[in-house]
Order: sequence, then structure tokens, then C-alpha cells
Amino acid sequence: MGEDNNIIEMQNVGIRYDQGPEVLSDIKLSLKKGSFHFLTGKSGAGKTSLLSMMYLAQKPSRGNMSVFGRNLNFTNRDELASLRRRIGVVFQDFRLINHLSAFDNVALPLRVCGMNEREIRKRVSELLKWVELDAHMQDSPDTLSGGEKQRIAIARAVINRPELLLADEPTGNVDNFIATKLMKLFVELNKLGTTVVIATHSEKLINDFCYPRLHLQNRSLQIINPAGSTILRGLADA
Amino acid sequence: MLKTQYISRKQELPLNGDSTGLFLQIIISIAVFIFAITLSGVLSINTMLYNWNQSILGSLTVQIMPVNDINKEKATAQTLAYQEKAIEFLQNVDGIIKVTPLNDNQLKNLIQPWLGDGVNISNLPIPRIIDVKLAPDADLNFVELAQKLSIASPQASLDNHKLWLSKLIDFADGLKLIAMTVLLLVIAITSGAIFYTTRMSLGLHRNIIEILHTMGAKDTYVAQQYGKRMAFLGFCGGILGLLFAIPAIFFIGSLATQIEGGIISEASLGFSDWGIIFSLPLFSMFIAMYTAYHTVKRTLKKML
Ligand SMILES: Nc1ncnc2c1ncn2[C@@H]1O[C@H](COP(=O)(O)OP(=O)(O)OP(=O)(O)O)[C@@H](O)[C@H]1O
Ligand SMILES: [Mg+2]
Repeated sequence: MGEDNNIIEMQNVGIRYDQGPEVLSDIKLSLKKGSFHFLTGKSGAGKTSLLSMMYLAQKPSRGNMSVFGRNLNFTNRDELASLRRRIGVVFQDFRLINHLSAFDNVALPLRVCGMNEREIRKRVSELLKWVELDAHMQDSPDTLSGGEKQRIAIARAVINRPELLLADEPTGNVDNFIATKLMKLFVELNKLGTTVVIATHSEKLINDFCYPRLHLQNRSLQIINPAGSTILRGLADA
Repeated sequence: MLKTQYISRKQELPLNGDSTGLFLQIIISIAVFIFAITLSGVLSINTMLYNWNQSILGSLTVQIMPVNDINKEKATAQTLAYQEKAIEFLQNVDGIIKVTPLNDNQLKNLIQPWLGDGVNISNLPIPRIIDVKLAPDADLNFVELAQKLSIASPQASLDNHKLWLSKLIDFADGLKLIAMTVLLLVIAITSGAIFYTTRMSLGLHRNIIEILHTMGAKDTYVAQQYGKRMAFLGFCGGILGLLFAIPAIFFIGSLATQIEGGIISEASLGFSDWGIIFSLPLFSMFIAMYTAYHTVKRTLKKML
């Protein structure tokens, strides 16, 4: 089991909220470095829950989980923060900070880890130009369109060149044209070495891009390869 | 487009907009106001106590009131007998190193200026005086000593002024203790207010804090923003409180100097005392910052 090659390891992981029933049970998953997966499942199947464990916002209620080779049972708060810096997240609801400008929103991950302002200015304006939002640098996310917000959220997720990119329905609110364009950005990043997981409902995306699917159903996880063959529970290592 | 436009950076947590800011600043101002006045009281009581203790140290006089009797010789003999008893008692008290009764000549020299020349004091019923030297480290309870002395020798009494001063010292000591308690309470109440408003604010900005956390912010990152904000409020509140406290301190001081006897006029504030009072805004800044910082760290540990 090449631990070093696995960005995320889950063994018998279950998650529940408060005293409720388990939303996910006995999840077994090894996410290989440099891999690209879609995450699918009906609404309420637990896609966001699975992702939130991956971006370390929730701890599994049971089971074992490692991120970047670190067992979460033996990781303290500050170490968790350091791990989070290597993960980029696009939230389903964006979670931009409205009293900050688009620029400051994108700069957030860099400021949090104490990068100097000159470097931040350079990097953020470069990236905003690249996502064609340099004209809106000073605008509040409030005043931007859904697609523009989405691009800011994505810019924020990738500004720190994350090793793992988790996107929760990043193409949920945009038309097919923009969706395809954003997908191409993720593919680009993946080619540069970033491990990617994208939760989506869009059959079109799944069909257009031939990547394996992590499919959630009845509280458990299946891996579905693009060819259509189903391998139960976990990636075959062989 | 102006390149410099986006240099200015806004705080991620809009703490300046918290409505509790003004409330805290007022609380801190009032706290520093009360603190400064109470502290100036404590400091001047300290000066006063020092002066009083100095004058109480070293020596003591005991008076033997003359016995009234028609037979003058008998009266003098009785008075001297009381003096002997008093001397005997005093010599056995811890902390007293020398007991010297004044002789007739010395007494005469003391009284002469009041009576004029040519008066034979041996014919007058004048009190006898005993000079008592105290050990430098003597820790005498004057009130107790006075009581025991009057039992040992009913005609003897302790120097009034010193007795009174020592009672005053006890009183001032008590006052000082109360004032110190007030100081501690003021600190406790202020920290409490900062604690609760900080917790409230953390709840209010929970969304943003969660976002910061996901970006990999450590608790100290959030705690520092709160610390900075509270340091600012603490300092400004401190300055404001001090601004009101200083005239008040002068006013109380001027009232005190008008008291007869000059006792309170010894209560002046020294240079270092003023130094301490003027550094109060720094003190309130530190307390506010420290409280906020640790409130955030502790609360976040439970919250997220
Ligand atoms: N904070 C929470 N507290 C309690 N229950 C929750 C919470 N978050 C999610 N759940 C429950 O967990 C289950 C899975 O939710 P989750 O958000 O992971 O689904 P999802 O697959 O992301 O759905 P969607 O496609 O609609 O986004 C749902 O039944 C939901 O009610
Ligand atoms: Mg979801």
C-alpha cells in the first residue's frame, strides 16, 4: 500500500450528525496522487459530507482516516491547519466574504499563511486576469453574477497551488459553456499534478470527461470506471 | 486602472463594525477612571503610611499624671512610685531598649518656656515624663501597650499623638486593603465584559471564521485579529478614562490639603506614582488584548 502515493486514505469510515443515523458507513477509499474523480450520488446521498471530511471540516465519527499520510487521530489543531493549506476547496454555496473585495477574497489563503503582500498582489492579479475577472478586482462578490462568483471561488481554491482540489458542484449554477470551460481549468490543474475530486449532478460532464466516478448510494461508496465496469468499494491497487 | 487601488487591505473579520465596540470602550473608560482614582488613593495612602511609620519609629514618651493630695510630699512620693511601676513595666516589654525618666532639671527645662523664670517646679503638680527608646525593628502594638501600661501604672499614659497615629495607620491599612479589592474587582469586571463580548462576536462571525479555517488559518490568526482590535479599544478607552480621572484626582487632592492638621497633606503623589497612573492606558490595552486573545483561542477549540 504505497502510503506516499495516497493523498487520502479512508478505512471503515462512518459519519453521522449529532445522534442521528449514519449518513455514510464503512467507507473505504484510497485516493491516489494525481488522480481525477467525479463524486456522484442523489441529493442527500452524502457528497458534501464526504468532501467535508476530506477538507478536514468534519471528523469521521468512526474509522480511520489519513490525509497526506497523516493519521487524523494523531493530528492536533495547528497541524490540521497546515494540512488544510495544501487543500483547495470550492464550496457548493461559494462561501465568499461579502465585505471583502474579489481581490481580498482570492488573497485569503495566501494571507492566512503569512505570505508578503507584494507576492500576494502579483499572484492574485495574475490569476484574476487569467479567469477574466481583473476588471472586477475591487468589487464585492455581492455585486457579481453567479458565474463570476463561481470563478472567484475557484480562483481562491487554486491560488495556493493546492495538492488536492475538492469542488462541490462547481458547475451547478452556470450554463454548459462556462461549465465546460471551468472543467478544462480543472483538467489543466490535474495535468500539473493536482489531485482532483469534483462533486456533480451533471451527466453531461461525466460523459464528456472520461474520469472514474466515486458513487454514493445507500450510505456506501462505489467506484465506477468510465467504461462502465463497477468495482465495489475502493480502488483496486493492482 | 490604478495599480495602487487594491493595496489597502480590509480586515477579514469586520470587528470594527461590531456594535459592542462602543460599549466596550465606555466600559473600559469607566474602569480606568475608577482604577486611576482608586490607585492614586492607594499610592498616596502608601506615602502617608510611610511618613507616619517613620514618625512612630524610634522613640516614645510616657506621661505620669501627678497624684492629687493635700500633703505635697506624699503626692510627690506617690507620683514617683507610679513612675517606678511604669518604668518596671516598660523595661520588660519586647522591643523597648531603653527607659529613661526625665529628672527634675530636664523637666524644668521643658516646662520653663511655658511658665517663665523663677518658678520652683517641685512645688507644682506637674506630670513626670519617661523617655522610651524603641528597637529599630520594634513591631509594637501601641493600643495594646497603652492598655497594659494603664493597668500596670494607673497614672501612666502613652503619648497621645503616637497612639492616635497608630490607630490611623491601622485605619489606613484597612482602607488600602479595600481599595486593592476594588482594583481587582475592576479588572475582573472589565475582563468579564471583554470575555462575553468576544464570545458573542465569535458567534456572530462564525461563518467567516469557518471560511478562514478551511483556508488553513490557525486559531492564532483569528485570535490576533481580536487581540489587535481589543488592544485598540483598551488603549483608547484607557486614554479617555485617564483624561477624566486626572482632574478628579487633583480635585480630591485639593480637598484633602484643606483638612486641618496637615495629616492628609502628606498624601501627595510622587513622580513614580504619576508614572504608574499615566501608564494605565497601556495596562488596560494589555488586559484587553490578553483577555480577547485567550478567549478566542479557548472558544475556537470548543466551537470548531
Ligand atoms: N450539518 C448537518 N446536520 C445534520 N444533518 C446533516 C448536516 N449536513 C448534512 N446532513 C444530512 O446528511 C445527509 C447528506 O447530506 P449532504 O449534504 O452530504 O448530501 P449531498 O449529497 O451533498 O446533497 P446535495 O446533492 O443536495 O448537495 C442528508 O440527509 C443531510 O440531511
Ligand atoms: Mg451537497
